[in-house]
Amino acid sequence: MEKTEKTSRRIFRYFLILLCAVFLTVMLILPLVYIIATALREGFSAYLAAITDEYALDAVLLTLKAVLWALGVNTLFGLCAAWCITKFHFKGKKVISTLIDLPLTVSPVIAGLIFVLTFGRQSFLYDGLQRMNIKIIFAVPGVILATIFVTFPYISRELIPVLTAEGTDEEEAAALMGAGAFTIFRKVTFPHIKWALLYGVVLCTARAMGEFGAVSVLSGHLRGKTNTMPLYVELLYQGYDFTGAFAVSSLLVIMAVVVLVLRSVLEYKGKKSQERNHYG
Amino acid sequence: MMKRKSTKKTRVIPGFGLSFGITMTILGLIVIIPLCSLVVFSVQLSPAELIRTITRPRVLASYGVSFVTAFAAAAVNAGMGLILAWVLVRYRFPGKRIMDGLIELPFALPTAVAGIALTHLTTENGWVGSLFAKLGIRIAYTKTGIIIALIFIGIPFVVRSVQPVLEKMDPQYEEAAQILGFGPVRTYWKVIFPEIFPAWLSGFTLAFARCLGEYGSVVFIAGNTPFKTEIAPLVIMAQLQEYDYASATSIALVMLLASFLILLINAFIQSRASKKVSGIV
Amino acid sequence: MADTMQNYVELQGINKHFGSFQASDNISFTIEKGKLVALLGPSGSGKTTILRMIAGLETPDSGNIVIDGQVVNEIPASRRGIGFVFQNYALFRYMTVYDNIAMGLKVKKIPKAQIKERVDSLLELVSLKGMENRYPNQLSGGQRQRVAFARALAPNPQLLLLDEPFAAIDAKVRQELRSWLKEMIGKLGITSIFVTHDQDEAIEVADEIILTNQGHIEQIGTPEEIYRNPQTAFTASFFGQNAELPDYHDFRSFAELDHVDRVLIRPEFVKVYKQDEKIQYERTASEGIVESVSFRGDRTELRIRVNDAVLAAKRNPGEPAIRAGEAVKVFLYRIFVTRGNEVIPLENLALQTDMVVF
Repeated sequence: MEKTEKTSRRIFRYFLILLCAVFLTVMLILPLVYIIATALREGFSAYLAAITDEYALDAVLLTLKAVLWALGVNTLFGLCAAWCITKFHFKGKKVISTLIDLPLTVSPVIAGLIFVLTFGRQSFLYDGLQRMNIKIIFAVPGVILATIFVTFPYISRELIPVLTAEGTDEEEAAALMGAGAFTIFRKVTFPHIKWALLYGVVLCTARAMGEFGAVSVLSGHLRGKTNTMPLYVELLYQGYDFTGAFAVSSLLVIMAVVVLVLRSVLEYKGKKSQERNHYG
Repeated sequence: MMKRKSTKKTRVIPGFGLSFGITMTILGLIVIIPLCSLVVFSVQLSPAELIRTITRPRVLASYGVSFVTAFAAAAVNAGMGLILAWVLVRYRFPGKRIMDGLIELPFALPTAVAGIALTHLTTENGWVGSLFAKLGIRIAYTKTGIIIALIFIGIPFVVRSVQPVLEKMDPQYEEAAQILGFGPVRTYWKVIFPEIFPAWLSGFTLAFARCLGEYGSVVFIAGNTPFKTEIAPLVIMAQLQEYDYASATSIALVMLLASFLILLINAFIQSRASKKVSGIV
Repeated sequence: MADTMQNYVELQGINKHFGSFQASDNISFTIEKGKLVALLGPSGSGKTTILRMIAGLETPDSGNIVIDGQVVNEIPASRRGIGFVFQNYALFRYMTVYDNIAMGLKVKKIPKAQIKERVDSLLELVSLKGMENRYPNQLSGGQRQRVAFARALAPNPQLLLLDEPFAAIDAKVRQELRSWLKEMIGKLGITSIFVTHDQDEAIEVADEIILTNQGHIEQIGTPEEIYRNPQTAFTASFFGQNAELPDYHDFRSFAELDHVDRVLIRPEFVKVYKQDEKIQYERTASEGIVESVSFRGDRTELRIRVNDAVLAAKRNPGEPAIRAGEAVKVFLYRIFVTRGNEVIPLENLALQTDMVVF
C-alpha cells in the first residue's frame, strides 16, 4: 500500500517534469533552433551577406540608438522615481506609481496610436513642431519615443521593491550627519540597488531591442532610415527573403540568449547581496 | 500654508526637489502628455460616430477573435504555468536551472522574431505544421495559430506569479494536512491551491491583458483574414495606415477599457483574497 | 543645588499630529546637562515621536524645542549637534565598520589623518579594535550596537539620542550592554536621552525617567521616586507586576476610603508565611490558598488566592518551601488605590512607623 503510493507519486512526478520539458521544448526551443537553421540554410556566406547588408546594418544602428536612448532616459527616470517614491512621503504617490506602470498595460499598437495623436497632424502641438521643423512621427524621434514608452517602467520597477525593503534609516542616519543628497545616494543608497539596476537595464535592453507594434506604427517604414531590426525582419519576410529575415532574426536570438544568461546571473547576485546584507 | 511648511521640513533626507522634478518632467513628457492628447482627442469624437465605428461587423468580429484567442491562450498558460511553477519549485532534476531561465525567453525574444518562426514552423510544409496537416489540422493562418503565438507570449506570466508564493509557502501546512490524513489530491486542492490562488489569478489576468494587446507575434501567423483571423490591434493598425485616426482611436478605447476592466477585476479579487487571509473584512 | 544645574534640553508645549492621531499632546519638560534620561511608555505612547522631534527628524505642529539655550525648531537635524542611535542601528550595510564611523567626519571634510585618529580612539572606546574592516552583517548584535554608538559619537555631539537601543539584542547580551552603555555615557558625561518600553531597562539605566502615555507625560522623576511614589493611576499600574484586588477590605487594617476605582498590589509588598511560621503582625494577616508555585531560579513565584483576589508573591530560595494547595498566611505592607487619575498609597496600619520595605 505504502509502496504503491510512493511509486505512483514518483510516476506522477516524472510525468509532470516530462510534460514541462516537452511543452517548453516545442514552444520555446524549437522556434530558436528553427531560426538558426533557416538562417544558415543557404550556407554561411549567404548568412554573412544577409547580416552585413547595408540596410541590415542601418537597422542594427537604429536599434542600438533606440536602445541607448531608452536606457538613458529610463535609468535616469528609474533612479529618480524610485528614490522619491521610497524615501519621501508626499501626496499623489499612488497616482504616480500607477502612471509609471501604465505603459505595461497598454497594447503596443495603442501606444503607437497615442504618440501619433500627440504629435500628428491633428495635434495641438503640430503647428509648433512644424514651425520648428521637427519631425517626430514617421521619423527617428518617433521610433525612439515609442521605445522609451514601452520600456518605461522596466528599471523603476526593479528598483522600487529593493529600496522599499531597505527602508529609510540609513539615509536618515547619513542626513543627520549632514551628508548631501548626492553623497547619500552614491555612498549609502546606490550599493543597495546596484544589481537591481543592472537587472533592470538588461530587461529594458531586451524589450527595447524587440519592440515591434509601437515602433511599427511610428516608423513609417523607411528602409535604411526608420527601420529597426524587428521592422527590417518584417520587411524581409514580407518580401519573401526568408533567409535574410531569419539571418537578422538570428542576431536578435543571440541577443535574447545573452539577455537570459545575464538575467539569471544578475538575479542570483542581487538575491545574494540582499540576503547577505539583511539582518534583524 | 502652515501645514505645507511643516510637511516640507519633515523631509530630513535631502534631494526631494531635484529627484521629484526629474521624475515629473520625464513622466510628463513620456506618459502624461501623450495620455492627455488621447483624452483630448477622444472627447472630440462624436459619440454616434464612435458607436458606429465600434459596431462595424468587421470590428466586432475582430474583438471576438481577440477575446477568444487571448482567453484560450491565457487559460492554457494558467494550466501549464501552474504545473511549471510546481515542477520548478518542488522537484529537483537535471536541467532545472536551464528550464527556469528559459521561461523568460518570450520576454527576451522580439515578438516579431517569434512570430515569423512560429509561422514557418506551423505552415502546411513546416516542421510541425506538416505533422498536423496529415491529421487534417491547419495551424498557421487560423485561430489555432493565433492561440499558439499568444501562448508563447504569455508563458512567463503565470509561472513568475505563482513561483515565489509557492517558494515561500510554509511546508508545515502540507505536513499538517498529511497528519490529518489528507491524500495528495485533497491536500493540493484544499491546502495549497487556496494559498496560491491570488497569485495564480493575477498571473492569468496579466497574461490575458498582454495577449489582448499583442501584435508583433500574431500578425504573421494570423493570416489576417477579416471576420476570421483578424485581431483588434490589427484593425487599429489598418485604420492608422489609412490615416483614419478617429476610427483607430474609437477601436482602441474599447480595448483600453477592456484591459482596464480586467485589471480592476483582478485588483478586486486580490483585495478580497488578502482580506480573507488577514481577517479584516 | 538645582540652580547650578544647567537645563540642556527643553521642550515647551509641543504638539504633534499624524493625521487624526495625536502623538504629542502639549509636551513640556527639561533635561539637565549630563543626565541620562529614559523616555518610557507603552508602544504608541508617543515616546519615539518626542525623540525624533528633538533630533529634527520630525517637526512639531506647535511648541518650541530648545537645545543649549537655543530654539532649534528651524535648525536642520544635521546642525543640531546631536548623535542619534537608531532602533535597528541603521548601520550603512555596504560600508565597513571604519567607514561607518568615519562617514560623519568625512561629510564635514575633516582631514584624513584626523579622521583616522578619531575613529581609532572610538574603536578603542567601544572595544572593537581589529574589527574595522568588517561589514555590519559580520558582527553580532551587541557589536553592531557599539558601532552605532561609536558612529553617533564620532562628530562629538553634545546630545546623544537613542531609540530603543536594546530592542534588537538577545536577552542575555542585553543585560551586559545596559551596564556597558550606562558606564560609557557616565564616563563621557554626554547628555543622553533613550527611548524604551521596558520598565526594568529604564529603572536600571536612567538617571531620570519621563513616563509617557497616549501622547502626554504622566510623570517625571528619578527611577526611585517614580517607582515608589507614583503620582497617577497610570504610573501606579505601569510599574511593577501589579495584581488587582477586587476589594481591599478582605485584607486587614488599611484606612477606609470612599469611591475607590482600582486597588493595586505589587509582589514585593506581599509577605507569605507558612502556617507554622512566626509572624509579626498575626492579627492583620489573611488566610489564603496557594494556587500555583513556579520556580524561577533565584526566586519562587507564588499565586495565592485570598477570597476573590489572586495575589502574586515572591519567596527566596532560603525560606522553607511552599507547595501548591497549601494554606498560607498573607500580609500586605502597602497597596495603591486609584480614584480617577489620582493614586493614593496606603500603608498597612499595623506598621506604625515608616518602614522601608525594599
